Amino acid sequence: MTMATGLVDAPLEAKAKRFGFLRQVWIHRSDYLNVLPALVVMLIVIAYPIYYTVELSFFTTPPSLQLRDKEFVGIDNYVLILRSDVFWRVTVNTFIWTLASTVFAFILGMGSALALNQEFIGRGVLRAILIIPWVISAVAASYIWKWIYHSDFGLIGAVLVGLGLAARPPNLIDSVGTVLPSLIVVNVWREFPFAMIMLTAGLQTVPDQLLRAAKVDGASAWQRFWHVTFPHLQGVSTVTILLLAVSNFNSFIIPWIMTGGGPSNASHIWITHIYELAFGRQRWGIASAYSVLLFLILMTLGYFYVRALTRGEKKEGGA
Amino acid sequence: MSTFDFGRAIRGGVSAAVLTSLLMSSPVLAAPPVDLSKWSPEYVRSIAGTKDFDTAADCNKVTPLDYKGRLTFWYQGVFEGDPDLLRQYYKDFFAAFRKTYPNIDLQDQALTYNDLLDKFRTALLGNAGPMMVRLQILGGVEFASKGYLQELKPEDVGYATEDFWPGAMKSNMWKGKIYGIPTNNETMAFIWNADIFKRAGLDPDRPPATWDDVVRYSKQIHDKLGIAGYGLVARKNAGNTPYRFLPQLWGYGGGVFDETAQSPTYAQVQINTSASKRALQASYDMYVRDKSVPVSALTNQQADNQPLFLAGQLGMMISHPSDYDVMLDLKKKASGSDVQKAQTVIDNMRYGLIPTGPDGKRAVVFGGSNMHILKPEYVDGGKVDLPAAKALACFWTSPEWSLKMAYAGSNPGNLNGFKTKWMKERLDNIKFLDVTTSMLPYGVPFPTIPETPEIMNIVVPDMLQNALTGAMTVDQAADDAAKKIKSIMDGGKL
Repeated sequence: MTMATGLVDAPLEAKAKRFGFLRQVWIHRSDYLNVLPALVVMLIVIAYPIYYTVELSFFTTPPSLQLRDKEFVGIDNYVLILRSDVFWRVTVNTFIWTLASTVFAFILGMGSALALNQEFIGRGVLRAILIIPWVISAVAASYIWKWIYHSDFGLIGAVLVGLGLAARPPNLIDSVGTVLPSLIVVNVWREFPFAMIMLTAGLQTVPDQLLRAAKVDGASAWQRFWHVTFPHLQGVSTVTILLLAVSNFNSFIIPWIMTGGGPSNASHIWITHIYELAFGRQRWGIASAYSVLLFLILMTLGYFYVRALTRGEKKEGGA
Repeated sequence: MSTFDFGRAIRGGVSAAVLTSLLMSSPVLAAPPVDLSKWSPEYVRSIAGTKDFDTAADCNKVTPLDYKGRLTFWYQGVFEGDPDLLRQYYKDFFAAFRKTYPNIDLQDQALTYNDLLDKFRTALLGNAGPMMVRLQILGGVEFASKGYLQELKPEDVGYATEDFWPGAMKSNMWKGKIYGIPTNNETMAFIWNADIFKRAGLDPDRPPATWDDVVRYSKQIHDKLGIAGYGLVARKNAGNTPYRFLPQLWGYGGGVFDETAQSPTYAQVQINTSASKRALQASYDMYVRDKSVPVSALTNQQADNQPLFLAGQLGMMISHPSDYDVMLDLKKKASGSDVQKAQTVIDNMRYGLIPTGPDGKRAVVFGGSNMHILKPEYVDGGKVDLPAAKALACFWTSPEWSLKMAYAGSNPGNLNGFKTKWMKERLDNIKFLDVTTSMLPYGVPFPTIPETPEIMNIVVPDMLQNALTGAMTVDQAADDAAKKIKSIMDGGKL
């Protein structure tokens, strides 16, 4: 029967529509019961905080007041944010951070996946090694990289000075010009294995006979990749890029631990700025307004993610 | 050893007298157990070991030793920059308390200086705070002003208000009421490496007398030896930054407000006066112009300076007497030839008074921590076990334990601690203790207003970073900070 599984065939679905919304709910009652526990948990831990954040974004919370004594200010917080110089600076940082991290992690992941898709001795070991950055704790990685980058006694500086390539260690994370790119390198290092794993899975779906046929027809390696492999990876690539983008937009640990958003706000991205506003400066209202804006952006990305995920299902359904 | 005459330095200088009277100017001051007007290393030595105290008997009068109860307690505990000696005293303290009050179920949680405020604020928003908290000195007023704390004065736990430094009591006062009891109070000192001084052509036994000298010495050390001269710290959201910049700011005659005045009003922002800008300019000169301080100063805490100093890569820094013990601890982790190098640095470690400004003004942050009891409605479970909380407050702020818990890095909040036998022992065991006790009369408390944590932990480091990275000029950075502080004081939103 279709009712218990939720797989309703077309004639039944048309019939069900005639009975209206309640009838459909009744038909799918077991499905609703199955998802009810998860739904309740989501309402408690996700829906309520979202509602409260939206509500709080319309109040001002000066540091001299308790949160319960907050004052209603309408959309003032949003106006303040959009008029603030820091907002635009942090927004530019966030987009550079997200875009660069996503693009480079994807390219590096794609390269690694293609390389590891070839058969050679030690492939398994190499694959395991490349996954290490992704599996180790982001906190531990941040501290390690902080030491590697350290402007006075960091590993990079010591190597460069030791080899005579620099007179003094390079200033990577204490300079407004180099701090963000330096953090992006760390982020890419940590994230590219995720892209590699996703794309390696995608590569398994590329038909071998197509690649062989293209080779017989004289296609170069690039042509085979571009015209055969890549089209088969489009779905997984879209999902990977969207997941990386969402994760990077939300990324907190690396910039917070390594620089705390400094120096001079040069590595503040939205999420670290929101944290500082809320917990360092107790501007809960402003921080909530920032969070609402961030939520809207992430929901937009989430929409495209779901669309990318369900595109294949719709095609199958329509065939 | 340094030949610096600390006693003479203490007695000299009009500014010192002003600051001393500031610390003694509290209306609650009556007859302290020690004579603050005679404060000098010799005086501290003369009173050490002159009185015995029985902590258990004293606290029994506050909360009977067989009292049965439960207490949740968060405190600013030891962290990576503290010596092992202090870790041991913390363990001993909790063991002793549990032994003395075997029926009190104490659930204690240690947090670092930088995490405590964030976590405590968050918990309070959800009415999930602990029953009792030990906060850094700049935090108490913020929470008292918002109504989170119960009134709590030394008399509530068997001591007198006069038993504590007036400046420390001031940090617990909001609108004339007292909301906490000091556990420890400290003033830092100036530390230098005599060997580095010698090799750089400086007098190894004379620390820089003024902040201008610090700039000059730092450059000379860097130019001659290629290492960092002064251990500048400018990290954001780290207590280390204001503790090191404010002595400089005050020395030059500046201030965030008028906090160095005898009766500060905090009415006018002074961080962009010409005197304040000179202090910022000094940091700029060291970091940008001379490049004579660690480049990593913008992301560093003092804990990052300690290994640099031990490695002989840093000539001068501001810190506690405990740094000597930290160096001994760090040396234990060294291996091979590094052990001898570390020992050389330790042998050449010298302590002196914090330098003065161009007008002879010497000042240092009057630091420390206070214990507070929360109101039940903000506590996880909605109840506060007051007798249990008072028992812990009595125990920690007793002459015995306020001394022991401050053994290596600070000084007892309870002035009677200076009279105990452990103070005498400490004077013999802790090197350079004289210097930091000598600095106490120069201590200036942070402004006692709710906005202080935000100003000190965010605005001041931001100002430093804006100037030192070249994101703004010195003038712009100071003016920007003044604008932000005004906005904060006006209840500003961003």
